[in-house]
Amino acid sequence: MEDKKTDLVIKNLHKSFGKNKVLSGINFELKEGERVVVLGPSGSGKSTFLRCINWMEEPTSGKIIFDGEEVTEKNIRRVRRSIGMVFQHFNLINNMTVMENLILAPMKLHLMKKEAAEKRAMELLSHIGLTQKAKAYPASLSGGQKQRVAIARAMMLSPEVLLFDEPTSALDPESIGDVLSLIRELADRGMTIMIVTHEMSFAKEIATRVVFLDRGKIIEDGAPEEFFRHPKTERVQEFLQKVL
Amino acid sequence: MNDFFSKIGELFSTPEYIDALLHGFLLTLQISYFALLIGFFLGTIIALVDTAKPSRWLAVPKFICRVYVGIIRGTPMALQLFIMFFVIFAIKGFPSIITAIIAFGLNSAAYAAEVIRGGILSVDKGQTEAGLALGLSRFTIFTKIVAPQAIKNVIPALGNEIITVIKETAIVSMVGMYDLNMAAKDIGSGQNMASYIVPMFVAALFYLATIYLITFIVKRIEKGLRRSDLRAEE
Repeated sequence: MEDKKTDLVIKNLHKSFGKNKVLSGINFELKEGERVVVLGPSGSGKSTFLRCINWMEEPTSGKIIFDGEEVTEKNIRRVRRSIGMVFQHFNLINNMTVMENLILAPMKLHLMKKEAAEKRAMELLSHIGLTQKAKAYPASLSGGQKQRVAIARAMMLSPEVLLFDEPTSALDPESIGDVLSLIRELADRGMTIMIVTHEMSFAKEIATRVVFLDRGKIIEDGAPEEFFRHPKTERVQEFLQKVL
Repeated sequence: MNDFFSKIGELFSTPEYIDALLHGFLLTLQISYFALLIGFFLGTIIALVDTAKPSRWLAVPKFICRVYVGIIRGTPMALQLFIMFFVIFAIKGFPSIITAIIAFGLNSAAYAAEVIRGGILSVDKGQTEAGLALGLSRFTIFTKIVAPQAIKNVIPALGNEIITVIKETAIVSMVGMYDLNMAAKDIGSGQNMASYIVPMFVAALFYLATIYLITFIVKRIEKGLRRSDLRAEE
C-alpha cells in the first residue's frame, strides 16, 4: 500500500454557493487502487466534494493536485479525461444513440479512430450485455441499463480514477444490483474509485477506506472495519445507528 | 347570398383584381420571409449571448441584448413600424419594402431570441455536465449536445413566430404599402366591386392557406426531430 502512487491531493478545499458554505477545509489524499466510500448525512457536502475534484463545481479556494499537477482552468479538460464521472441521473446524451454516446469523447478528443472506438465500445457493451442496444436511444433504456452504459462511457477514456455520485439512488431495487455488480467488477480489476452512496452494505463490502463528512468537513477517515465497528466520533455513531 | 357568390365570381374573373391580390400576397410573403430570416438570425445571436456563461467581456453585450428585447417586446409593433418609416428611414426614395423588412426583422428577433433562449435553457443541465466530465470543449458540448436538443424544443414556438409575423405584416397597409390586406381593401373600395366583404374574405383565405401550409411543414419537421424521444428501437 505504502509505495502506491498518489493520484490526487486536495488541500484546504472550500466551496460556497453564495453565502452557503458547503465545504470548509477539506484535506484529502487518494492513492492508486484505493476505493473510497464517502458517507455523511444529507447536506454534508458529499456530492459537492466529489464534484469539486473534476471541477464540475469550481472550488472557492484550496488546491486540487492531480498526478502531481495543480488543476487549473487551463488543464482542467485534460484532467477530466483521466477522471471518469458517473452521475446519479446517468446523463446519457439524449440525442445520441448508445454507440454515439460511447464514442463521442474518444473521437472528439482525437484519442481514437472511429473503427477503434466502435470496437472498444462493442467490447464494453458486450461486457455489460447490451450489444443489442448499440443503436437505441437512451429514452428506450431502463434506468439500470442507462447507468451501465454511462459507466461504459466513462471507461471509454480509460480513466485513472472513477467518481460515482450516488450511482444507484435513482434506480429501482432490481437495477441497483446490476449496477453495483458492475462497480464491484471494476473494483476487482484494481480501478481507483471514489463513491458517494447510501448503500451501506455495498459500502462495507467494496471500500478500502471510508470518509465521513459532516457540515463540510471530514470528521472520520479510515479503514471500513474500524469505521463500522468502532467509530471514533459521536456523530458517526449516531449516523450508523440510524442507517444500519 | 347570391350576390356574395356572384361577387366572388366577378373577383376571380377580373384580371385586374386577381393581379392586385397576387401582388399584395407576394409583398406579404416577401416581407415575412426576409424579416423572419433576419429575426431568426439575430434572435439566435441574442439568445447565444444571453445564455452564454457570464464573463467580463460579455457583460456589456448581455446588457444590450436584455435592453433590446425589453424595448421591442414592450412597445407596439405598429409604433415600431412608424418610427422606422417616419424617423429612421425617412429618406426620400428609400425602398419601403426594405424599411418594412428591417422593422419586422428587428421585431421578430426579440421574440425569436426569447423562444430560442427558452429552448437552450430547457435542455437538462446534466447533458452539459456529461460533456464537461468527458473533457469536451464548451463549443462541442453546445453544437453536438445542447443545440440539437434545444432546436427540437424550439420548433413549435418558432413555427408560431412565423405565423405571427405573416399575419402581423398586414399593418404595413397603415404606411400605405400594397400588401395582401391593402389589396383586399383597395379592391373592395373600387367602383365596380363596391363590396368589402368579398375581397376580404378571399384575402383571409390566402392567409389561412399559407398558414395552414406552414403549420403542416412545421409539424412534419417536428415529427422528424422527435425520433430520439421514441421509446421503440429503430
